[in-house]
Amino acid sequence: MAENSSNKKVANSLVAVSCAAVLAVYSAGYLRTRSAADRFEVQAAERRTAIPVPSEPAETVPVSEPAARLAPAAVSPTEVTDVRSSEPVEKPIVIASAETMPEPSSVSPVAVVEAPVPAPAPELTVKIAELAPPLPEHKIEIAAPALPPAPKWKDGTYLGWGTSRHGDIQAAVVIENGRIASATIAQCRTRYSCDVIDKLPPQVAQRQSPDVDYVSRATQSADAFYYAVVEALGKAKN
Amino acid sequence: MGTIVTIHVLREGADVAIERAFGWFDEIERVCTRFSQSSELMQLTAQAGVAVPASPILYEAVQFARMLAEETGGAFDPTVGHRMAARGFNKEHRTGEIVRTDVVPEDDVSYRDVQLDPERKTILLRRTLTLDLGAVAKGLAVDAAARELEPFKDFAIDAGGDLYLGGLNPQGEPWSVGIRHPRRDDEMIDSVRVSNQAVCTSGDYERGQHILDPRNGSSTHAVASATVVASGAMLADALATAAFVLGPEDGIQLLNRMGVDGLIVTPDLNHYETRGLRHAA
Repeated sequence: MAENSSNKKVANSLVAVSCAAVLAVYSAGYLRTRSAADRFEVQAAERRTAIPVPSEPAETVPVSEPAARLAPAAVSPTEVTDVRSSEPVEKPIVIASAETMPEPSSVSPVAVVEAPVPAPAPELTVKIAELAPPLPEHKIEIAAPALPPAPKWKDGTYLGWGTSRHGDIQAAVVIENGRIASATIAQCRTRYSCDVIDKLPPQVAQRQSPDVDYVSRATQSADAFYYAVVEALGKAKN
Repeated sequence: MGTIVTIHVLREGADVAIERAFGWFDEIERVCTRFSQSSELMQLTAQAGVAVPASPILYEAVQFARMLAEETGGAFDPTVGHRMAARGFNKEHRTGEIVRTDVVPEDDVSYRDVQLDPERKTILLRRTLTLDLGAVAKGLAVDAAARELEPFKDFAIDAGGDLYLGGLNPQGEPWSVGIRHPRRDDEMIDSVRVSNQAVCTSGDYERGQHILDPRNGSSTHAVASATVVASGAMLADALATAAFVLGPEDGIQLLNRMGVDGLIVTPDLNHYETRGLRHAA
């Protein structure tokens, strides 16, 4: 009995030490990981503000940026996935051994296209008009984009590459009559299947813009596709 | 750490927290790796006989490792580093880099030669030795990452087999975790249900028998895999390593004493488990 209680005491203290250790490390290290989070926030903001003005796609987001921002330092590839629509309970997560390197295919990222779509162009122009009512010439200027202006792009098929920490994607964009007729994934060299972003290519033609949806937990692949389209459209520029 | 880290968060809006969670793996690896001479761990190793002020990460990792060593009578011992190197575990499997060190450890060092000062947060290696925090650092990173994700309640972190499952799975039930068959790839030998717990397995199947019995420096053969379910991954991973070394009976006894659950599978596929282990249907 006495032995039991003394053992329990040791056990409890070991459990307590492990909890305290995590707390101490977490509290002390919070500032350090903030840099990673801040970097991410800045990028997310850039990505959001880079709503494509079709005439200047190439300038909006430098294609080389994703490579620079990721620098996955010591830990090998990481991936964020979403499990909401993944396999149900019958297929539990399988533990590999402590040192194993699971095949990337063992994780199947599931595309979940987020609902919010960037505000359509006409709404934006209205907003700008409200913000700057005293300048009539601006009003005139912004009234125009409601109808597509003169062709921004030369007809033809254009290729562009986008990079991400999980690999590269090549997009092919076809311009007909100065408009985006189609966009496709020409090459998928990401670690994960490009199926996760297969809803994105049609959006480019629908929206006449590279500004495709965000794909939850496949943000890297979605961004890579976006950059690829931006680069392709840069080449198509009139 | 040579591992792929996967994080699943069921709710929206966790991007920043996820990025932060990943940040912990970089940070803790940077401090605790023995595969880089410039890591804080290796800097400490080079200064035997001096009380070296340690960062919270290193201090807490070493303190926990030392305490577990004491508890297990040395079945888990962070000072096995030099024996690992002597037996060829000196290669970083990710980069192929070899651990180079001028440190020539004495043969009979043990965790007792590691002295911690809780007031000044210093670590003193009383003799020349190499610390191996492999079993502790990855778990610590998982636990820190789990704290980042706590506000999102339902999530899963997988760091190469060190799992932490927060909240419930997408079906609103405790997470079901399969335990790999130690001899047959792609097959599970069992599965457990967990929520807000870590599950870690030490196996002999991935990289050969890489777990040494610190008490005699030899590989252990009595266990094919040891799985531990505990409140945190650091605890679970370290206890899985210790249980693996101790063998099925002593291993289960240790887990019972620690108040955690686990399953030990022997090479002839006999199962030993704690009473509280919650199997998935």
